[in-house]
Amino acid sequence: MSGPDVAWYLALAAVLFGIGALGVLIRRNTLVVLLSLELMLNAGNLALIALSRHFHNGAGQIFALAVMAVAASEVCVGLGLVVALNRRNLSLDVDTLSELRG
Amino acid sequence: MTGLTYGSWLCLLAPLAGTILILLGGSRIPRLAAAWIATTSVFVAFGGAVWAFFGVHSQHQGPELLPLTSQVTVPAHGEITTAWTWLQSGNFHVGLQLLVDPLSTVMMLIVSGVGGLIVLYSIGYMDGDEEERRYFAYIAFFVFSMLLLVEGGNLLMLLVGWGLVGLSSYLLIGFWHDRPSAVRAAKKAFVMNAFGDATMALAFFILIAHTNSLDFGVNFNAHLSGTATNFVALGLLGGAVAKSAQIPLQTWLPDAMEGPTPVSALIHAATMVTAGVYLIARTYPLFEHARTIQLIAAGAGALTLLVAGLIALVQTDIKRVIAYSTMSQIGYMFVGVGVGAYANGVFHLLTHAFFKALLFMTAGLVIHAVANEQDIRKLRGVGRLMPFTKWCFLVGALALVGIPPFSGFFSKDPIVASAAALGTWYGWIFWVCGVAGAFLTGLYTFRLWYLVFPGEPSPFVREHYHDHHGREGAWTMLVPVGILAVLATFAGWLQWTPRWDPFTRWLAPAAPSLAAAVPTDTQEYFTSVAVVIAGLAGLVLAWAIYSERRIAIPAAPFWRRLFEEKFYFDWLYDRIFYEPAVATAAFLRREFEEPVVLQTGPDVGNTTLATGSLVRRLQTGLLRTYVLFLAAGAAIVVLAFLIAR
Repeated sequence: MSGPDVAWYLALAAVLFGIGALGVLIRRNTLVVLLSLELMLNAGNLALIALSRHFHNGAGQIFALAVMAVAASEVCVGLGLVVALNRRNLSLDVDTLSELRG
Repeated sequence: MTGLTYGSWLCLLAPLAGTILILLGGSRIPRLAAAWIATTSVFVAFGGAVWAFFGVHSQHQGPELLPLTSQVTVPAHGEITTAWTWLQSGNFHVGLQLLVDPLSTVMMLIVSGVGGLIVLYSIGYMDGDEEERRYFAYIAFFVFSMLLLVEGGNLLMLLVGWGLVGLSSYLLIGFWHDRPSAVRAAKKAFVMNAFGDATMALAFFILIAHTNSLDFGVNFNAHLSGTATNFVALGLLGGAVAKSAQIPLQTWLPDAMEGPTPVSALIHAATMVTAGVYLIARTYPLFEHARTIQLIAAGAGALTLLVAGLIALVQTDIKRVIAYSTMSQIGYMFVGVGVGAYANGVFHLLTHAFFKALLFMTAGLVIHAVANEQDIRKLRGVGRLMPFTKWCFLVGALALVGIPPFSGFFSKDPIVASAAALGTWYGWIFWVCGVAGAFLTGLYTFRLWYLVFPGEPSPFVREHYHDHHGREGAWTMLVPVGILAVLATFAGWLQWTPRWDPFTRWLAPAAPSLAAAVPTDTQEYFTSVAVVIAGLAGLVLAWAIYSERRIAIPAAPFWRRLFEEKFYFDWLYDRIFYEPAVATAAFLRREFEEPVVLQTGPDVGNTTLATGSLVRRLQTGLLRTYVLFLAAGAAIVVLAFLIAR
């Protein structure tokens, strides 16, 4: 049971998380924003599983499963919103969807 | 359960049922139906009272002499019935109890009997008033409250009735609520009575603290310390003088004449205002343990009977003259129960209920017939047009002055004689006050008589008099007046203390008179002669001044002004209580209410609005801003953890 050191996994997770966060912040297409969110979640999953393995503790893997369930639900809601926006012929640009401005 | 029990509950609950029926009926029942529901319910109560009376009568152990034992057990002859435990707090509990004994049956008969006649009289008097139904609901409620007061089987029930009669009195004084003077009078009566209620409640707290009970029997046999007993008696006396309009809490009663006349007859003459006399007779063991306080009660009565008699001399409102005479007569009753002659006090209460209700109702007939005019200077000669009213009033006036064989003679003289029987200096002061009061009674009563009834009708009366279908009033008004005139004449024959005293013997088990206050026959006869001569002297003087005009009214501007200003009691209370209270309220309004209380609400609102308009800028509606805040927040938390490590 050998492989790269756990630090590599964590570094990869951090990079993925950074890319995801950057995508959420700067991209304007709703679908891409959702995609970037998925990326952030899965970066978290990767870190959980790597550390679970490193510490020989199964709890991290269970957490990862739970995160997947949450991610699935979140995608359902998110894609549902995208479909609803499309049906109303609204733009998918997040910057134009600013009716909740105070 | 005996007839006594059924009778007492029937008596109590019938007027309550009447009230509820009228209230539920509302505008669905005709006005006359409301009137007859009230009348019937009070007469049913009278039936219950008679039933209870015979119940007690069958238990009454014959005419044995006064049981002057040291241990008082209540009820000696009577019965306490408990419906259920009403209040429980630890081992202190109070039942929903009624006490039926000789004293309460007498009171029940007076309240429901005179009450029934007056409610019947109201049907004619209130005819055509816009809110007749409300009136009859109130008056039936008053009868219920008064019956609760006199039947209450423990001190708390008594206090509940006491408070409820105050409430119904307030409602009925202010019945014509579109008159500001009536509303003011109602408030005044309520506040002064509330003062008495409070002192009574304090007395009860002392009793609960010492005996853990509000039962009559327990408290009457309790041996409290002298101070505690004095405070208890003082508290009860406070309630009694407030309710019975005795000095120093007397100023509300004349103002209470703003209510309809039948209300004045029932509440402010026959029943409620005599509740103080009932209270002292009912709780006499507490007062006898605090003899000083009891004598203070007699002193207040003696003072009131003189002061009220003097004020009555200069009043110009027919109802106010009678109101002051009520205060004066209750003063006699207070002297009676204060010196310890409870039966004499209660007997005067009984005859007074008849002749004073009669006087008020005849005055009501006059007021009703002459366009609601109450000023006696305008009413001269009304007797020519209203002969029945005139003779009935004369009967009431003679009974009030105490001319034999009318009832006042038999009830007033023994009270004055009892004061003499004490034999002490204060006993003789009370005696002198009583005799002087009889003189004043004769003077002011017949001043009223000569000013209003005999002689040629004045132009005002000629112009405004209209009869009721050829009679002086509706039959519902004339019949009760006739019955009361008969009662005012003959009720006194029930007892003449030197010769026969069935009433005193009847009350003996509930309130035996103090041995020291039982006069000898010589004292009785001597006093009777003195009182009757004084009364006649007043009568003759009134005749000489107001009818023959042989004697001019003495100018004496100082005294006239003193009497007209009612001995400055109202002025004094205005200065001491009313005006400081108003000034304090105005100060607090200016300094606290307006700057602090009224300003706080708008301040809170404005601050919230200002904060809101600042914070709303953060809500850009742009997703990226929110995410940035989120990420920045998370980053700060992470940094904090890293640094704190």
